[in-house]
Order: sequence, then C-alpha cells, then structure tokens
Amino acid sequence: MKLTRAEQLTHTGANLQVRFSRVILSSEGYSTVTLFKEFVLPRLVQWVVVIVIGVTITFMIPRLSPVNPVDQALGRMTTFQTMNPEATQALRETFLDLYGLEGNIFDQYLNFWRRLLVGDLGPSFTSFPTPVMQIIGNSVGWTIGLLGISTFVSWLLGLILGSLAGYFSNHWWSQLLEKILITVYPIPYYILAFVLLMIFTYYLPLFPLVGGARGTPGFTWEYIGSILYFGFLPALSLIIGAVAFRFIMSKALTTSEKSSDYVQYAELAALPKRKILFSYVTRNTMLPQVTDLALSLGALFEGALITEVVFGYPGLGYTLFNAVNSADYNVIMGITLLSIVGIATASLLVDLSYPLFDPRVRYR
Amino acid sequence: MDAIRDLFRFSPSFRYGAIIVTLVFALVIISFFSPYEPDDRRAVARNEPPSLQFILGTTSQGQDVFWMLTFALRNTLLVAGLAVLIGRGVGVLLGMVSGYIGGTVDRLLSSLVDSVIVIPRLPLLILIASIMRGQMSILTLGLLIGLLDWAIPSKRYRSQVLSLREREFTYTSVFSGMSVFKIVTQAHLPFLIPFLLADIVSGFLFAIGLEVTLSILGLSDLDTQTIGTQIYWGNYYQALLTNRVWVLAAPIGISILVVTGFYLTSVGLSSYLDPRTRLGRLEVKSKVNVPETEPEVTTTDGVTP
Amino acid sequence: MVRKLVFLLLLVLLVAPTTFGFAQEPQGLPVTVPREQMFVLDQIFRYGVAGNYNMWAPGAVTPHRHALMSETFWYRDQETGERIYGLASSDPIYNDDYTQMNVDLRDNIYWSDGVQFTADDVVFTVETLMATPTLTESGWGAQFNQFVDSVEKTGDFGVQFNLGTENPRFHTLFETRWNGVYIMPKHIYENIDDPTTYVDVNPIVLGNYVPIQFDPNGFWELFQRRADPERSVAGVITGNVGPEYVLSIFYGDSARKAIAMSRGELDTYFDADIEAFQTTLDTTPTARSWYTEFPWAYPNENDDRHFFFNYEFDPILQNRDVRWALALSINMVQLQTEYIGGVAKVSALPITPTAPLRTLYYDPLEDWLINLQIEIEPGTMYTPYDPTVPDQIAAWAESEGYTVPGTPREVFGSGWWNFAPDVAERLLLDNGFTRDGSGNWLKPDGQPWTLDVQAPPDENDAFRMATAAADMWSDFGIDVNLQGLERNSWDQNRFTGQYGLTTMWQSFALTDGDMWPQMQQLHSRYYIPNGEDARTSGGGWLNTTRLQDPQIDAFIDEMATLLPGSDESVELNREFLMYWTENMLSLPVIGFKKFVTWDERYWTGFPTSENPNYMPLYWFQAGKFAIQNLTAAPAS
Repeated sequence: MKLTRAEQLTHTGANLQVRFSRVILSSEGYSTVTLFKEFVLPRLVQWVVVIVIGVTITFMIPRLSPVNPVDQALGRMTTFQTMNPEATQALRETFLDLYGLEGNIFDQYLNFWRRLLVGDLGPSFTSFPTPVMQIIGNSVGWTIGLLGISTFVSWLLGLILGSLAGYFSNHWWSQLLEKILITVYPIPYYILAFVLLMIFTYYLPLFPLVGGARGTPGFTWEYIGSILYFGFLPALSLIIGAVAFRFIMSKALTTSEKSSDYVQYAELAALPKRKILFSYVTRNTMLPQVTDLALSLGALFEGALITEVVFGYPGLGYTLFNAVNSADYNVIMGITLLSIVGIATASLLVDLSYPLFDPRVRYR
Repeated sequence: MDAIRDLFRFSPSFRYGAIIVTLVFALVIISFFSPYEPDDRRAVARNEPPSLQFILGTTSQGQDVFWMLTFALRNTLLVAGLAVLIGRGVGVLLGMVSGYIGGTVDRLLSSLVDSVIVIPRLPLLILIASIMRGQMSILTLGLLIGLLDWAIPSKRYRSQVLSLREREFTYTSVFSGMSVFKIVTQAHLPFLIPFLLADIVSGFLFAIGLEVTLSILGLSDLDTQTIGTQIYWGNYYQALLTNRVWVLAAPIGISILVVTGFYLTSVGLSSYLDPRTRLGRLEVKSKVNVPETEPEVTTTDGVTP
Repeated sequence: MVRKLVFLLLLVLLVAPTTFGFAQEPQGLPVTVPREQMFVLDQIFRYGVAGNYNMWAPGAVTPHRHALMSETFWYRDQETGERIYGLASSDPIYNDDYTQMNVDLRDNIYWSDGVQFTADDVVFTVETLMATPTLTESGWGAQFNQFVDSVEKTGDFGVQFNLGTENPRFHTLFETRWNGVYIMPKHIYENIDDPTTYVDVNPIVLGNYVPIQFDPNGFWELFQRRADPERSVAGVITGNVGPEYVLSIFYGDSARKAIAMSRGELDTYFDADIEAFQTTLDTTPTARSWYTEFPWAYPNENDDRHFFFNYEFDPILQNRDVRWALALSINMVQLQTEYIGGVAKVSALPITPTAPLRTLYYDPLEDWLINLQIEIEPGTMYTPYDPTVPDQIAAWAESEGYTVPGTPREVFGSGWWNFAPDVAERLLLDNGFTRDGSGNWLKPDGQPWTLDVQAPPDENDAFRMATAAADMWSDFGIDVNLQGLERNSWDQNRFTGQYGLTTMWQSFALTDGDMWPQMQQLHSRYYIPNGEDARTSGGGWLNTTRLQDPQIDAFIDEMATLLPGSDESVELNREFLMYWTENMLSLPVIGFKKFVTWDERYWTGFPTSENPNYMPLYWFQAGKFAIQNLTAAPAS
C-alpha cells in the first residue's frame, strides 16, 4: 500500500527513534559476541540467582512457622476423638519418618534441591502420599485457563478503550467511561468479587457456587460449555478490575503521547484520527503495556487466590491457600516455585528485548 | 495561596478531590470526639437500620456504624500511610541510587530487587500473618505491607532515572559542572514528582486493598476497627444474607470515597506540577484555559500493583 | 475493525454460557444424575486426597466416607444412647481380669463384590495394622501394638483378642463415637505389597455405597448404592434400601451452604451460623432442623463448652474463691438468650445434658447441686445453684412468642449458678481484693486485675459465649482483654500456655457414660509447664490447663480399672463430678448445638425431634443409619 507523503513523514518521525538506536549501536561497534557477554549473560546469571534466592526464602519461611505438619496431622486425628497419649507419641515418630522431616534444616534443604533437580517435588503432607506434582497438575489447568483468558481479554479491552478515551479525551463518552472506571478501580477486589457472587448466585441464582465444570472431562460440547459457564463469574470479577487499571494506564500514556510533535504534524496533515491513533500513537505506547502483559502472564502461577476462594474455583490459588493453612510445606514450595520461575522468566525475556525497542535507554 | 487558587480554578479533578479528602480528614478528626469507645459493645440497640438517631445504622454487636467508621478510617489510613511511607520511601531511594550510579552497584541492587519481586506476595503475607500468632497490631501490619511493596516501585523509579539521565538537559547540567546531588534534586526530582504523586496513590490503593484482604481472611488484628475488620465482622454476622446491607455498605462506600479522593487530588496536583504544562500555562495564563494533561505515567517495566 | 471484533468476542463469551450451561437443572451441580434419585449432603471440608479410598493410609479426615463405606463392630448412637450392632452380633465378652475379649460376628453381611464377611477379615485387619505402623488411621495400629498380644478366630464368625495388659476399654476401639476400626477386605488387601502407598480407586466396601465418581480437586464425590443393600449393615438394621445416589459436595462457608440449599442444590448441611440458618428458614420452606420451631438446633451432640483456666498464667486463678466469683458474676440467662439466641443447653456439670447423660448424672446429682454450699466469709455459707435457670429461659422464649417443645429441663438443659455479683464481690473482698476509684478490681497485691480470654471466631458459639462473659465481667469491674484469634494462633497459645482463660470444648463423659477416656490428660503425668508445648507429653488438649491435683490423679487411676458402664464406674464418675464442680476447676457453660438442617424437597425420613430414631449427625460413622433411612419425598 502506498503511503501518502504526509503518512510517510509521520512514519519517519515515529520510527526515527528506532533507526537512531540502530545507528548508535552499530557505530559503537557492538559485535554479537560482545552483546552476548556484556548483555545477555549477566542477565541469565541474574535469572538463576533470582530463582535460587527466591526459592531459599520460600523454603525458610514455612519452617519458621510454629505450625508443623506432624502436629497438624496428629491434631486432625485427635480432633474427633481422644487417643491414648502413648499411642500419640508412637504416631509422632511414625509421621516424622514418613514426612522426611528428620535431620536438621540444612539437610532438608540439600535434600530438597536434590529431589528438585530430578523433577520430584515430594509428597503432600495433608494429602499423603499424593505427589505434589499431581496436586499441582490437577489445579494448574484451571488457573491458567481462568487467568490467561481474563488477562488477555482485559488487556485488550483496556488498551483499546483507554487509547480511544485518551485520544478523544474531549468527547462525552470518553469522560463518562473514565468516571465509571475510576469509581470501579479503587474497590478492593474482595468486595467486588463478593458482591458479584451474591448478586449472581443468590439474588439472581444464575451461576453455580462451586467447581470448575460439570460431568466427566471430555471434548464434548456439554463439558466445554460447562467450563465456560462455571468460569464466567470468576473471570468477570477479574476482568472488571483489570480493565479499569489498563484503561487508566492506557489513557495516561496515550494522552502524553498525544502532545508529541509527530502527532501534531499528522493532525495538521489531516490524517484520519483513527489511523493516527492506532497506527502510530498506540504503537509508541506499546512498550510499557506489553511489559505489563508479559509480567502479568508470568504471575499466572501465583493463582488468583482470592478469586478462587470466593468463587470456589479449583485452581492453584485455592490449593495454595489450603496448604498455607495446614502447613503443607511441600505443596507451598511447589506452587511458589512454579510462580517464581514464571515471573523470573517473564522478567528476563522482557529485560532482554527492552533495548531493541526503546533506544533512549542505554546500558553502561 | 496563589497556587492553590489557581489549582481550584483550573483543575476540576483537584477541586473534587480536595473536597473529598477534606471530608475524609474531617471524619478522622471527628473520631477523636466519638461518644463511644471503639471496643464498646452493646453501646446502642442492635441491628438498627439507618435513622436520624443512628446515621448509618447499628451492628449486630450494638455499635454505631458511623462512629465505628470514623475509627476504621483513622486506623486504615494509619496502616496505609505507614506502608506507603516505608514502601515508597525505600523504593525511591533504592531506585534513584541504583539508576543513577549504574554499573555493578546497579546490577547488584537490581538482582536483589528482582529476587524479591518474584516471590508471590499474597501467599507470603498470609504465611507471615499466620506465623505472627495473633500478635498483629495495625502498626505491624503497616510495616509488613510496606516491606512487601518497595521492590516494584524501586524498579519504576530506576527506569525513570535511567531515561532522565540520558536526556539533553542532564548532559547540559553535567557539562556545566553541577554536582550529582544538585542534578538529582533540582533537575530530576521535579520530573519525578508527578510520577511520585500518582505512585503514592497506587501505593495507598494497594495497602488498603491488602489490609482489607488480610482482615477479611481473619488474619489481622480483629479487635481494632479498620475498614477491613468492619467488613469481616459484617460478614461474620451475615449482613448481606440478613438484608442488613448498611453494615457493609458503609465501609465499602468509604473506601471507594477515600481512594477516589486521593486519586483525583493527585491527578490535579501532578498535572499542575508537571514542568511541561507549567510552561504552557505560564505562556497563556489568564487568557486561555489550558487543557489538562495526565501525569506521564511511564511504567517502563511496571507491573500491576 | 478491531473494536467490532472485540465486541463480537464479548457477545460470544456472554451467550455461550447461557446456551450450554443452562441446559440442565439445577445448574450448579457438577454431576449429570437425575436429581430425584440423588441425595446431596454437605461434605464439610474440601478433600485433599481425591480418588484414594484406602481408608487406613495416613491422610486427612474424610467425614462422610466412613458412614457410607466402612463398618465396625458397634455403633453408639448419640441421640438414643444405644449400642447398635454393626458387624458384631454380641456385646464384648471379657474374661475376669480383662485380658481377653471375645466377640461374635454377624453371618449375613457381604462385601460389595459378593464375598462374605468373616472373622478372617477381622484377624487380617488387626494383624496388618499391627505390622504396618505407617497405616496410621486413628492410631489403631499403635494402640493394638500397645495392648494386643495376639488375635485369632474362634470360628468363621467369632474372634478372640488376647491382651498383654488388662484393659476394660479395649472394645472401645471397635465402638464408635466418631469411628471404630474399619475392617479391611482380606481378599483384596492380602495381595497388596505396600498398603501404605496403595491407591484404592475402586474399593470393595462393606457399607452400602460404592464411590463411582470424584472431583480431582476434592470438592465432591459421588456414590452409588450397591445392588444388594440388604446384605449391608445399614440395610439390615433399617430395612430400607436408601437413595440410589449420594453426592457429597463442599460449597464453602455457612452463607454459601444456605444459598445452595435455597437453590435446591443441597439436601442437608451439618451446621451453619444462626444468621445463615435463619436465611435458610426464610428462603427454603421445606427445610428444617431438629425442632421445626424454636429452638431449632440439635442439642444432643455429646460435647460441652467451658471456660478453662490456665493455672500457671496468673496465680490468682489458683484460688478457688476467685473462680467462684467469676462464675457468680455471669448472668447465664442473659448469656444464653441474648448472645446465643436461646438455642443451646445450659450445663452446670462438665458434661452435656443429653437424654442418656441426664439419666446417668444430671438427675441423680440434682439434689446434691441444689444443696451445694460454698463459704463466702468464714462461717457464712451460700447456696450458689439456681435450678430455675431453664424455667427462666423458657419464660423468655414464651415472651418472644416461641413455644417450648418439651419441659424446660429437656430443652434448655440444667440449672446453673446464680447471677449474684454482690456475693462475688464479697468473695473477692474476703480474699484481699479491693476496688479502685472507678470501681475496677485490684488484686491483693494492688495491681489491677486483668483477665485474658481467648476464643477462635470460627468456632461460633465459643466466640459468642466469650463475648458475653467479657461483657459481663467488664461490667463487674474486671479489666477483660478478649482476643478473637485465628484458629492456629488460638491452638498455639493453648499449647504453650499463653492464655488466661480459653474456650476449649470437652464433654467429660461419652454417650455410654464412661469418663476415663475423656479425662486422661488431666493426670499430672501429662503435665507440661507454661512456655513449653503441651503436646510433647502426648497431650495437647486438657493438659493445656496445667492442672496438677493429686486428688484428680487418684480418681483417674481408679477409673482406669473399672469396666465402663458398670455401677461402680458410674458411682466413681459421680464423685469426680462433685469434686470438680465444688472446686470450680473449669467453668462449663453450654452444650454443643448444631443447626443440622435437612431439606424435604427431595428426601424425607431423617431423624427429627418428633421422630428421634437415630442421631442426625450424618458425618459420624454411625450417621449411616440416618442416611439409610431416607425415602423419596412425595412429588408435589
């Protein structure tokens, strides 16, 4: 498609900065090897270090808790009936053995890494002997599905609405939208979720109270339909808050970009407004927004804890919540590990691709 | 004084925001004159709907919702304020130092910050709260939330400083012989202030949200009145199921009001202080209404708080 | 263009669930089984282990499964107090010195795969549990190893246990309060190498229901009735086939359960807080609890709520008069009506005033209670017991417009201590306490008297009762610090003794009247001082009070030697109760109540106050009979 002269100039203006960066980089004589050594490698090392530190901290903290799994297990047994104290003592020994909690903390730490490197996350304590991998496997799909879809939808929606509102900030609908979303944004998430729950399961009993799907898993219309049905309300609660945030961000970025020279030039050249918005302005605001998206996806594994507890959704967050309450160290470690790796990796990828996009930043 | 009059005239956001914030602080001051103690139960009749005598109704424990709300506001703002102070304070310091000095120091600090960021915060907070054996006070809560919230802001401030460092005016300052300290405080800080203000608002939002979440899960100090614990007790006595909506509507409404107020004020303030629009305003002062711009929220590698 | 696409996407997302999800009624249930054939019960927890029905391996508690699937020798029903014969056809037969126990077994019970239940299964179960300490369910293995020398069959339907030490309570391992030894199918488990890690997905059961579907995330399980219900224990006892399907599902907290029931997606829940229960009454006309009207709740679950003192926390609590002063400054009628809503039974003795225990203990001791006297000042006696407390509560109920469904003593429990703050004051003054200028109490050493009271809010009644006491003691002039602690914190504080008063619950007597098993931890051999963890001696419950009383030790030692249920045992128990009460060693307040609620929309035949055939506590192992008795409600 042939660009008009005006478009060409705008195009050039918008892309000038990128061209600049390539000129600068090549003029400073960066070869690929240097690039790797000075740029990529330190970040890879950082990635490893970050994961190790994060894992160690999460290893230590549950063990600082006075609530330990052996006592939990015994407590569960004696809640419902009184047991002979001698038998309780014998059982305590059995559990210590079974859970692999003998040895000092350093031994346990080494054992943990040893098992980890062969992909064994150990058995869960509360659900002994189910392996943690299996427990995570059961819930991770639900969390990824719910959060993945909500994140994408809300990111897209927020971006589009925000850019539109930012560019056409004098129109009535832009201001109305902003006022509505600004009112919604500060509502603490729990309240939003709880109110939605009450409205749509109690006052208007339209949606289910618990679960992820209905019937036996399979690729039938009924099963997939039930997944959408059961997931609708939790997804809605996530989307509302996230759209509000993304909208505000997008609008701010677009507004500040709007005052740039090349935009003023394009407007003077009477390019269609929508084209200016989506072909140029939005592209230049993409960088921080894509960063946000990447990091949100990385945080997927943290699970939407509150969402899942409020809506009874069988994902990672709910499992983690139960694990924290019952001092199930292995499950806590497994899920947190997944989350740490996810976020660290997303962060690494973002960091690596950063200078290719924004030449205004240079690394010493 | 001139400045404030200007603000009122030019910025509707600031106007509304300031009104709301004043109202909020008025409520906080009123709390010191409350006829009831915050832990008084059976002070008034139970479960009364809002009326002339009880503006916002009463709870199942026989407490006046309005007066309890003033206490809740006071305590929640205390917690949030403490959290923001610690979180943003540490964040700004670390970020600016790391960004400006660069090199190995920057690399080390960044690694530290990244290691802390990857740890999922809510589960960690829940874990710590349950370890604290019910020794939580609102001050400890504020401290805890602040300690969890400095990492991501520090990354943002660092990237802000990084981009400022490469601007022409910085080079100008360096070449004209300004000291590092002067550059940072006199040249860079004014650019950061709008961002800082907006960031403080998001810090408040985060802290309030976290306080509410923890209280609802029953993990904070349930015996002090905060917005979160008001909601917890409202739920505990099933306010929604029994159609006693006022018990929950009050803390929810107030939390929305507080944050909206702060947000609007900061929007107004930051666009006023933004050097770019300030220049624009100087040129066309008292002749034309300069359209408001939003603060430059360049979250270069920011993450949803 | 993009905008249009986004709009379309949203539309599709909105419409899809509407079309597919609404297809079935009621929409919220996770299984596609005809509703009228399925009984839906409240699962109480979300299960950590789903799909593993190996009931002996270490794991979390799984309430309803044992009712539906497992059998043991005897069932003790908490409502009627009777012993129901499960797998046993006789009572336990001991020899003279309690070192041998014989039991006759039923010959008409079959496993769900058609194999007959015989004594072989029992012998196999006991020997396997003894040989495999990692099969830790309920600590049976450890207890067998402590007492049993050998076990042998005395015929196809008879079994004999040879005990190493005398134990007149050995049979209680096979008799339920909560559960009894689950018998293993020998013909299945003898072929398993490692029973601890064996994952039993399609179990062979002795009960009436076989699991057919489960949620891998632990929210629900679906059971189906076996083809031959007349060859299961519950089928034989009740003579009813029971519902075709049983679904257990975990909805969440009280509010969600109430909502589910109003939608017709839950037929029974085990408890709810009073507000959620009221909502159920308002929104579900077919739902009811034990009583159709006030006081609704089931009051006969055998457990009791007290204030327990930590004797080492503040030495002032070791003074008996001080404890009595605390008792006399509580207005029991106000506590029970205003804070609890009038729906629980008052208990003056540390046992629940259920029908069986009233006959054994409350009624015979009533005279003693009425005549009990304590010394206020030297030479001045006072009778603290007020037998009219239930009558006063009944009067309040009637003034509120309720009808009391029985005599006041039946419905509201026993009498209690007078509300006499003036007498309490005299007791304190006589012990060197003084009041300061604003009327607050100062201890004899001049320090203000501060009481620390701890209760977990998620244990509803415990918390409300603590709130009531805190209010009343404050009015009396004591500086009360009431802490609502999250459950784990509350537990921790008890274990390490960081509390003044705590709201533990314990009924000192089992349904059959035996007290020793419930009180063992009071013996000073389990004493652990404050600051250390009370569980290290095998305790963790009653020994958290740090009580050291040689008289109590003597009682407990003697009780151990007597056959439970015998006259001497009951007599000794009564003496213990008298000793405990006149020394006010704990402050019992109310019995347990549960809003066990059943919805008659689809099923009827469950136990009620008009028809108290069994206990309605379906989550205990003996709850199987309540479930088995269900028949389809007439279609309306």
